[in-house]
Amino acid sequence: MTQVKLIGAWFGGLLLTAAAVGTLESGAADVFLEATRPDFQKISLGVAEILNTGGSDWLAGRIEEVLKHDVRRSLVFELVDLPGLGIQMPDVRNGKGAGSKAVFKQVAEKGVSVLVWGTASWKAAGDQSEVNVEGFVYDSGSDEVVGGKRYAGSPSVVRQMAHRFADELVFRYTGEPGIARTKIAYVAQQGTARELFVMDYDGYDTRQLTADGFLNLMPQWSPDRRFLIFTAYRNRNTQDIDMIELATGKRWTVISFGGLNITPALSPDGIFLAFASSYEGNSEIYRLDTRTKAIQRLTVNPSGDLSPSWSPNGRELVFVSDRGGGPQLFLMSSDGSNVRRLTFEGDYNAAPVWSPRGNWIAYVCRTHREYKLCIISPDGQKRTQLTTGPGVDDSPSWSPDGRHLAFSSTADGKSHIYMIDADGKDRERLTFQGTHNSAPSWSPAW
Amino acid sequence: MDKMANLGKGERHMNKTIWTCGSVLAMSIVLIGIPGCSKKSVQTGGDSQSTQGAAKGGADSSKSGVGSFPDTGVQPGSGGLRGLDKNPSEERLGSAAQGKMDSSSNAGRQMEEIRAEQAASAAAGLRDVFFGYDSWVISEEGRQSLSHDAEWMKSNPNALIKVEGHCDERGTVAYNFVLGEKRAKAARNYLVELGVAANRLSVVSYGKERPSCNEHAESCYQQNRRGRILIKSGK
Repeated sequence: MTQVKLIGAWFGGLLLTAAAVGTLESGAADVFLEATRPDFQKISLGVAEILNTGGSDWLAGRIEEVLKHDVRRSLVFELVDLPGLGIQMPDVRNGKGAGSKAVFKQVAEKGVSVLVWGTASWKAAGDQSEVNVEGFVYDSGSDEVVGGKRYAGSPSVVRQMAHRFADELVFRYTGEPGIARTKIAYVAQQGTARELFVMDYDGYDTRQLTADGFLNLMPQWSPDRRFLIFTAYRNRNTQDIDMIELATGKRWTVISFGGLNITPALSPDGIFLAFASSYEGNSEIYRLDTRTKAIQRLTVNPSGDLSPSWSPNGRELVFVSDRGGGPQLFLMSSDGSNVRRLTFEGDYNAAPVWSPRGNWIAYVCRTHREYKLCIISPDGQKRTQLTTGPGVDDSPSWSPDGRHLAFSSTADGKSHIYMIDADGKDRERLTFQGTHNSAPSWSPAW
Repeated sequence: MDKMANLGKGERHMNKTIWTCGSVLAMSIVLIGIPGCSKKSVQTGGDSQSTQGAAKGGADSSKSGVGSFPDTGVQPGSGGLRGLDKNPSEERLGSAAQGKMDSSSNAGRQMEEIRAEQAASAAAGLRDVFFGYDSWVISEEGRQSLSHDAEWMKSNPNALIKVEGHCDERGTVAYNFVLGEKRAKAARNYLVELGVAANRLSVVSYGKERPSCNEHAESCYQQNRRGRILIKSGK
C-alpha cells in the first residue's frame, strides 16, 4: 500500500470530525498535507499578554504561559516574540489589550501571520470561584479578526481552557484537531507496586488510576479514549490483560489464558484486539474479534512473537519476533499472511509503533549496548536513529498528530517520561516525581 | 495456517472447537494450569454480564478466558472543537469525570504473599539460578543450584514449585517478558530432566518489572537476571 493511501485514510477521519463541527475551510486538506512535510513552513504566531480583567494576575499569566507552550509544541506555528520584534503594545490595563488597529498594523508590517490576545478574570463566589477566559485571533493575511472563544469554569480547568484554545488555533489553520488536550497514560512505581497513571500531554494534572498494590503494566488507549487496556497479574502466578474505564474507574479482565498475556493493541476501528500470549507454548500473536469473541492465531513458529502495532488503516501489523535469534521487526497482513522482515540493522530491534500518518514506524534499536529510539519507513528504505547518549530508551508512543513521540528513558538516572519531536529534536522531560515512570502511551486526539 | 479457536457463543465455528493440549505443548500446559488446557469454546463471551461482574467473578471469566468488550470505536464529534466565532458564545468546561480509584483490599496482599513464599523457599535452602546478558542458557553453576533444588523437591514430593523469570533493566519492557519466560522455562525444563515431576512445576515471567535491586551496574544486573525457585502457596 502507498503512503498516500494511508494519509488519505487518516485524513478521512479528520474530515468526519471537521464536518461534524462544520468549520472546515476549503483548502485545509492541502494545508494539512503540507504540514506533514519536513520542509513545512511554520505559521508565525504571536501571543500578546493576556489582560487581567479582574481578580488574578496569576490566572492571566498562567493562561498565557500554557497557551505559548501549546503553540510551540504544535509545530504548526512558529511562536514569535512580539516585544522582541519591536511591536509596541498599548497599556493592557486599558481597553481591550492588544486587540487594536495600531497593534494589527505593526503585526502585519513585521510579517507575523497571526496575533492572539485575550482576557482572563477570576470571581470568588463563596466556595465556588468562577473563571472566565476570552481569546481572540487576528489574521494579518486577511487583515481581520477571524474570531474568538469564551470559556467559563472553575479554577481547576484553567489549563484545559488554554489547551482547548490552542487546539482551536491548530484546527483553524490546519484542519487537524491538535494535541493540546491529549493525555499520556503511563506506569509509576508505588513502593514495590507498579500502578497506572494518566497525565496531560504536557506532564501536568497527573491522576492515579489503579491502586491494587501489584503490577499494572504497559497501558494502551482504546480508539475512543474511554478505556485503557493493559497487562496485570490477577495473582502472583498468572498474567492477564485487563481494561479500565477512565470515567468510572471500573476494571475487569478481558484475556486470561495462562502464560504470558502481553502487548495488547486495539485496532483503529476498535473491533479487533491483537495481543501476544504464550498459552499454547511460546509467545505468539493472536487477533480477537471483540464482537464475536472469535480468536485467530496470526503467528506460527517456535520463537517469541509479540508487540503487535496496527497500521492506521488496520490492514497490517508490525510486530517483534526473535525467530532469527535476537528480536527484529516484521510486518504482516492483519490476517497473519504476507510476513516479511523489516529490520536488518543491529541485533536488537523491538517495541514498534506505527505512526498515525502511516509513514514511519518508531521502535527501540540497540547500538553498542545502548537502547535508543529509531524510526524506519514501512518499506524499509529509510531509517534514522532519533536519540543518542547513555541510558535505556523504551516504549515509544506517537502523538496523534505524528509530530512527537513520548518514551521512557533512564538517561537522567531513574526512569522518566520524555517527549521528543519526530525528527529527534526538542527533548522535553514530562515526569519529575517518583523513582520509576515507564511505558507511556499517548492518547488519540480529542 | 491459522487455527481457529472459537471462543464465542453460538458461532458457526462451534464444531471446530479445538483442544489446545497437543503433545508438543504438554510441558507448557503444566505451567499454565488446567484452564489453559480446557476447551476454549465454553462459556458466554460475557456480553451480557456487567463489566464489574467480569472483574469480580474471576471464576466465570477465567473459564472462557475472554471477558466482555465495550464498543471502543470512535464516536464522531465527541469532544470536538467548535471553531472560532466572531461573536463567541460561552463554552463551559467541566472537570472530566473521574472514577473512584480501585483501591481494593488486594492492595499489598500480593507482595506480602510473595515475601512469605520467598521466606519459605529460603528456609528450605532452595537456590536461584542466574543468567548471562541476553541469555537463557543454564550455566554450570546454575546446574549445580538446580541439582541441589531437585534433591529437595524429590524429598518433599508434596511441594508445588514456581519458577519466576526475571531480567535486568536493559532492553524493552515487552521483550523482557519473553526473555523472562525463556529463563523460567529453561530452569523448569532442567528440573524436569533431573526427575522432578512436570506437573509440580509452574512458571511465570515478571520481565524487568520486579527487580531485586535498582542500581545501573553489572553487579545489580547480575542479581536481576534470575530464575527464582519458590515453593508455591495458594493457587
